[in-house]
Amino acid sequence: MAAMLSAVCSRLAWAPRAPRTVWALTRRCLQAPGPRSCAKQSERAEEPPRTFHPSLLEFLVCPLSKKPLRYEASTNELINEELGIAYPIIDGIPNMIPQAARTMHQKKKQEEVEQH
Amino acid sequence: MAAPRRRSLWSCCGHGWSWATRCCRVPGLCSSRTWGPLGAWPLSQQKRAAETHFGFETVPEEEKGGKVYQVFENVAKKYDVMNDMMSLGIHRVWKDLLIWKMHPLPGTQLLDVAGGTGDIAFRFLNYVQAQHQRKQKRQLRAQQNLSWEEIAKKYQKEEDPLGGSLVMVCDINREMLKVGKQKAMDQGYRAGLSWVLGDAEELPFDDDKFDVYTIAFGIRNVTHIDQALQEAHRVLKPGGQFLCLEFSQVDNPFVSRFYDLYSFQVIPVLGEVIAGDWKSYQYLVESIRKFPNQEEFKEMIEDAGFQKVTYESLTKGIVAIHSGFKF
Repeated sequence: MAAMLSAVCSRLAWAPRAPRTVWALTRRCLQAPGPRSCAKQSERAEEPPRTFHPSLLEFLVCPLSKKPLRYEASTNELINEELGIAYPIIDGIPNMIPQAARTMHQKKKQEEVEQH
Repeated sequence: MAAPRRRSLWSCCGHGWSWATRCCRVPGLCSSRTWGPLGAWPLSQQKRAAETHFGFETVPEEEKGGKVYQVFENVAKKYDVMNDMMSLGIHRVWKDLLIWKMHPLPGTQLLDVAGGTGDIAFRFLNYVQAQHQRKQKRQLRAQQNLSWEEIAKKYQKEEDPLGGSLVMVCDINREMLKVGKQKAMDQGYRAGLSWVLGDAEELPFDDDKFDVYTIAFGIRNVTHIDQALQEAHRVLKPGGQFLCLEFSQVDNPFVSRFYDLYSFQVIPVLGEVIAGDWKSYQYLVESIRKFPNQEEFKEMIEDAGFQKVTYESLTKGIVAIHSGFKF
């Protein structure tokens, strides 16, 4: 009985300090996310796949000539052979804006320059 | 006499072409030269300096695209939060209504243009998945007396939960697509969703490809709306539906006054407080005023070749859903 009373008294004595510790805990939670949530966040940050799904090629065509494109895995680009232009794929999203397309001839010139 | 009139026209041109033509109709003013938005210049000179509106500003056409890109690049991260704050959450109802108007069946192929953060795409996927599940339940109820072999076969067949539906999200702004893609990952949307960076005026899709084309709150930011409508007509299959959800003209003058007050006094302030960007939200609010009203936009859609064009005004005309079909 006395032990119970003392336990209750000690808990009551601790109580005023509780809000402070609770506040400290919440601040810690807000500032530094725990390891589990960190891992989840890093997973989420990595999750958006950087790969391009070739199934998109059924739908995508060159916006200028409306002709089909070829996926080049080595440079991660969509190539229009006819016009000699390449559309880059960044973070798995193909960039089909004509101004963003790179002409293949320029690349060939760059390669020749590098070789020499 | 002509000089002061010309000056008033010049000041008018900041407020759009229609105002200038109205001034031109005053008798005695029209000379042998045709009046354009830049005053009494010959038409050939006008074509070289083609201008368009960017909110209430007048900018050269080539610049508008870049300016709009910057606006959405700045607002991308807070886009959804700001939509909720500005429309008090009503934008969710508008977008839901768009999908219900679409009534997509499983197997529909949707092209969502200017759909950066994926609101329409996710709603479409939810709807189609629910429809597919309902269809499967109905089939199960019809087939009560299946043999064990047939049941085993059903489990073995890996059925596509979307029933062959697909949504392609196309946007000109990389930041908006990034936000959308991240949202898709967070909310668990994987199948049936693709992201493409493309221009609504020059879509990177072949002719007759999609069942439905939607553009929600995007078409007013396009520099050449008629080109975007023509592209929409091109990529849709015969029988395909064009749906546009966009801000429009309020028909009630009482509501209109409050709406204008809210738009110009509250929204840019919210933009500054929440997103730290007054100018972008000022542009967004001004661009709404510059967009043609329900009837004019309906005529533009008909000019692009769509038929059975109808519109439905929502929330007293603040927003309208235009629908057209390609035959």
